[in-house]
Amino acid sequence: MGRRVCVVGVGLSDGPKTPDMTPMMLQAQSFRRALDDAGLQKNDIQGVATAGYAPMHEAQTCEYLGIHPSWLESTSVGGSSSEFHVLAAYRAIEAGDVDTVALIYGNTQLSTSGRSLGTGMAMGLSGPSAYEMPTGMTLVGAYAIAAKRHMHQYGTTSEQLASIAVQTREHAGRNPHAMYRDPITIDDVLSSRLIADPLHKLDCCVVSDGGCCVILTTEDRARDLERKKLVYVRGAAGASDHHSVQAMPDLTTTAGAVSGPKAFAEAGIKPSDVDMFAMYDSFTYTVLVNLEDLGFCAKGEGGPFAASGALRLGGALPTNTDGGGLSATHPGMRGLYLQCEAVRQLRGEAGVSQVEGAEIAVAHGSGGWLSTYGTVVFGTEPAR
Amino acid sequence: MTEFFVPKHIVPRITPDAAEFFAGTVREELRIQQCDTCGLHHHYPRMLCPHCGAETLHWVTASGRGVVHSYTVIRQNGVPPFNEQLPMIVALVDLEEPGARMLANLARIEPEAVEVDLEVTAVFRPASDEYSFVDFRPAVSA
Ligand SMILES: [Zn+2]
Repeated sequence: MGRRVCVVGVGLSDGPKTPDMTPMMLQAQSFRRALDDAGLQKNDIQGVATAGYAPMHEAQTCEYLGIHPSWLESTSVGGSSSEFHVLAAYRAIEAGDVDTVALIYGNTQLSTSGRSLGTGMAMGLSGPSAYEMPTGMTLVGAYAIAAKRHMHQYGTTSEQLASIAVQTREHAGRNPHAMYRDPITIDDVLSSRLIADPLHKLDCCVVSDGGCCVILTTEDRARDLERKKLVYVRGAAGASDHHSVQAMPDLTTTAGAVSGPKAFAEAGIKPSDVDMFAMYDSFTYTVLVNLEDLGFCAKGEGGPFAASGALRLGGALPTNTDGGGLSATHPGMRGLYLQCEAVRQLRGEAGVSQVEGAEIAVAHGSGGWLSTYGTVVFGTEPAR
Repeated sequence: MTEFFVPKHIVPRITPDAAEFFAGTVREELRIQQCDTCGLHHHYPRMLCPHCGAETLHWVTASGRGVVHSYTVIRQNGVPPFNEQLPMIVALVDLEEPGARMLANLARIEPEAVEVDLEVTAVFRPASDEYSFVDFRPAVSA
């Protein structure tokens, strides 16, 4: 049997707006905070996992932090990168290749690119996007075209999608660091302007700055540190099924339908065992389709399930209790924030946002255009 | 909605695996690949069949007929020249030839008139001497 793996430190940088910080500064700040949270020093870190935008980003990051790791991982698949990083780090720690790994991300999406909602950048003229970009397709449009098909196939409504934004904003209202905190209504979402039909402005995540760090280590090392309540990695899995929109096997089912059940099986849990869901909410539709794909409700029932209020505190599946990407923080790749919030909940540190008695939390990252999925199951007890 | 004009600087780079597709668009032929092994078609062009992995591909001229699988209306795009062409309708079109799906603009139709399962036909919009964009218009004009 391999070694058990625990989260021993989490750190968030300043945010959501940091015009005087670079991505590297945000990474360093979150790294320092995660080290302090864990009671570790920089030279305790033997492995680093990070995805960024510069050539040899991972080596640049380690140099800036003054560490010399013997284990590196830099799978870069957008918003699910950090869940793929956990998967790799978890296996490596389990197998004994490395003891302590820091997962790090930071970006100044807001201060660098502004609030263009994924409509300000060309999707690229090389690779498969070359066949799509000349149509004027945008990032939002890619999610919108999938949402439209879901509506056609299952009768999903704009009101149901909007209810996800409304419930997420309720969570953000309890988070002093969230970008937007004032309550919104379904009418507010529906009367915000259409960006790409059927998605309105308030169906889209915010654009922010921010950095985040999570430190994983062995159960033994975590016990020695005697810091916080232990949080175990119980299972992890990844899956990918397309890059360009025209290659999506099914607009109404994501690769999360592969990674989710696989991670749940390893963790030895059922969907009904999940106390809290940290879901990459790039758009309201991303949440809706993944509620189905992870088995929290049946295929096609994501709309009614979400609209029932399931995502609220006290609901069937409290989701994105920090206010998510829809209202709180979205610096480009949000995957690590999901893990931070899951850990905060399982440690019982979530304050007014606490899900009472949370024992199982799931972080589910979504990358690209509903392209790549990584699922991590955390628990207050080990899976085996 | 008027026809779209897209300047040369966003014309795709023509790679060797796709040269036949691009050359076909200039002749107003929609050239796609079909697999001898599994019989399915695909777009965009590749070295291997994305359905079964075989190398046994040949080119066919598609009828240009298809149905809208889904669509969106792009109402915000900050990238020139699209920022001056909004709204733009972008659709996934399932070609009549099994296995092939294309993302393309819909032309000669208002956004409000588009629906899933709409029958459409390919039309070609010259972009350069080497390539024409493939758009789709309603098969039956309203
Ligand atoms: Zn084949």
